[in-house]
Amino acid sequence: MRLSELPAGSFCKIKELKFDPSLKRKLLEMGLIPGQTVEVIQVSPFGGPVKIKIKDYCLAVRKADADKIIVEACNGR
Amino acid sequence: MADKVIKVAVAGNPNTGKTTLINALAGTNLHVGNWPGVTVEKKEAIIEYKGYKIHLVDLPGTYSLSNDVAEEKIAIDFLVKEKPDLVIDVVDSTNLERNLYLTIQLLEIDLPLVIALNMWDEAEEKGISINIEKLERLLCCKVVPTTAIKGEGVKEILDAVIYIYENKNKFHCSLHLEDQLETELRKLKECIKNIQPLLLDIYPERFLLLSLVEGNTFFIDLAVDSRILNQAKTIREKLEKLYHRDISTLLVEERYSIIISIYEQCVKKTAEEKFDLTLFLDKIFLHKVLGFPIFFFFMWLLFKFTFELSAPYVDWLDSSLSDVVAPIIYHFLTDIGTSPWLRSLITEGIVGGVGFVLVFVPVLFFLYIFMAILEGSGYMARAAFLMDRVMAVFGLSGKSFIPMLIGFGCNVPAVYATRTLENPKEKILTTLMIPFMSCGARLTVYAFFVTIFFTEYQTAVILFLYTLGIIVAAIVAVLLQKFVFKAEAIPFILELPPYRFPTVRFIIRNAWIKTKAFLYEAGTFILATSIVIWFLLHFPIGVKKPEDSLFGKISHTIAPVFNPLGFGNWEAAGSLISGFVAKEVVLSTMGNIYSGEIVEEKPEKIELSEGIISIAKGFINANIDMGKNLLSIFGLYKVEPEEEEEDSSLIKAVRDSFTPLTAISFLVFLLLYTPCMATVFAIRQELSSWKWTGVSIMISFTSAWIMAFIVYNIGRFATGG
Repeated sequence: MRLSELPAGSFCKIKELKFDPSLKRKLLEMGLIPGQTVEVIQVSPFGGPVKIKIKDYCLAVRKADADKIIVEACNGR
Repeated sequence: MADKVIKVAVAGNPNTGKTTLINALAGTNLHVGNWPGVTVEKKEAIIEYKGYKIHLVDLPGTYSLSNDVAEEKIAIDFLVKEKPDLVIDVVDSTNLERNLYLTIQLLEIDLPLVIALNMWDEAEEKGISINIEKLERLLCCKVVPTTAIKGEGVKEILDAVIYIYENKNKFHCSLHLEDQLETELRKLKECIKNIQPLLLDIYPERFLLLSLVEGNTFFIDLAVDSRILNQAKTIREKLEKLYHRDISTLLVEERYSIIISIYEQCVKKTAEEKFDLTLFLDKIFLHKVLGFPIFFFFMWLLFKFTFELSAPYVDWLDSSLSDVVAPIIYHFLTDIGTSPWLRSLITEGIVGGVGFVLVFVPVLFFLYIFMAILEGSGYMARAAFLMDRVMAVFGLSGKSFIPMLIGFGCNVPAVYATRTLENPKEKILTTLMIPFMSCGARLTVYAFFVTIFFTEYQTAVILFLYTLGIIVAAIVAVLLQKFVFKAEAIPFILELPPYRFPTVRFIIRNAWIKTKAFLYEAGTFILATSIVIWFLLHFPIGVKKPEDSLFGKISHTIAPVFNPLGFGNWEAAGSLISGFVAKEVVLSTMGNIYSGEIVEEKPEKIELSEGIISIAKGFINANIDMGKNLLSIFGLYKVEPEEEEEDSSLIKAVRDSFTPLTAISFLVFLLLYTPCMATVFAIRQELSSWKWTGVSIMISFTSAWIMAFIVYNIGRFATGG
């Protein structure tokens, strides 16, 4: 499942990042490590960015980039 | 006894209040410049405290120290090569887990740390309690809670710095990774010891070993022996196989598992949050429907504030120089018997050039104030969030919208506003697009021409020009993406920090520091260009007609270039040359050229005391006008528009030498070619590259010529001419 497919209010766990190595490392270092819980806070209309919460902060991720974040569903944190 | 000098680097993630803390620590000693070769800001200060000289160097805000990007390279280079005595690591107490990642990497570089637990008040409010003693023990460092915005904890930070400096050897930390990993690192160390021990002398051991294993050696200037690289590669492959994941994931996970264990031992969330302001505000500001009108309202305010509040000061500076300073100097020089050309050089070339520089100061100052509010409050990230979908069409991200919008007011601050774009490709693209945003100065020329040629379609013609600028910018962006950058789309992953309230003192001081940087850097270039232009107009010495001056000769030479566009005469060419200096002077140059002689203005004599009084009066009036404009923005006051008087002989001359069609072709060219020398030098300063500055000028001229050619010929065809 991709992060971009989830509706607002849902929780998931990160499984894999499908970015080129340098961007992938940057995201890992920002805390998007496998197993990390992610809360989807907002999904914008017309393919706009997604707002997610990880650890104690929020990130905006463009839909095209959220497509490359593979996740698995989970219930709450 | 000479003071002891302590060299301190200040590191931290973005959005941790690092800049505020530096300001609080340094007070008025802060100096702002750039790191050599790049346009990443470098702040430095030397503070005297308890008999020590503490030399603070602010490192760029980064999430980590392992990526080959300008900010991280600067930080690594400084930490590894300059070897500061210790590092102040500014962390956001409300977001400790992610912030500790950088801390762990700093420990790998093996420098003693003072951790500033910033935003301490927010953490307390949120019911987050952090066990400071335990954190100090686990990370072998000093930990000081701070609330930089209120100046709390600043003294304690300095005390901790001195304490660590005096007890350096007590603070060495080794955090253990998985046993298997440690064994492999030891093997690699042995290998280096035998083959190239110099590496271990130069670089911090753990940082070196981990980087080699990860294959991340961009910061090593030395040629590393291939045997070492091979050994590192073998280890990397072995570990990847063992742990079933790529090495970067493995190392980041390892670091985070240390962090999580520390976090769980030291941090307790005692109370669930009652009310989350950020969550609440985001529901409004990022609302699917409401978000956009609110955003455009803020942008309208930004625009209004910047350009209308600064306008009275611009007028004041302008009239102070031309009505007071220039006449006083003029008559002083006459009295001491200087030759007329030297007098003209000083009053027109130099004072005029200073004027070109100074008029930008109020605009930039006000813009920096509002940018600091947008950024410091956290709204800037929201604006980027909202505009991302639109900008993605042009291959850009939401962050590039604001600089372009500012361009409609003035291109110079717009170029400086690209500083918020960290992706180098996006920054270059945006900077190349900004000159096509039609600025306020260009409007003065449009307005003059449309009243002569298009009385009935004034608005339509001006709207056409603005739209054409945007379309050309979009075409340029798409073409550059396709043929020059070729990379895939710019990713958009941006932290949305909590909403916060920056202090007035911080905002104003920051704005002033940045405005000063403009004065020093771009200012000198602009002044020099203005003097060069003066020479062109007044050479050979004693020249009477503009046509006979060097300027006239050059205009004659390049005029044929504009033949296919319909205005291949030297007068039009000459006014375009002066338009390269500044669009504001196009009309006055035309006045000069069409009148056929160089008039030296003979200003009336003013006494020095009189002059000073009139400047002071002007300043008071400017403040009053600013107040009026402020009220009028909110509709509380109506400002009477000033009637600008036009030179009727110029109107006649222009009517005689242009047709409506050549006029529109001229305006299209004027819209698209390089806006002014101030923009050119701003681009140079922001991109630190003459190459890209040259590219910008080239793109502007080419597209201006092509578009004017198209418009002129379509017009000719349509009118059957």
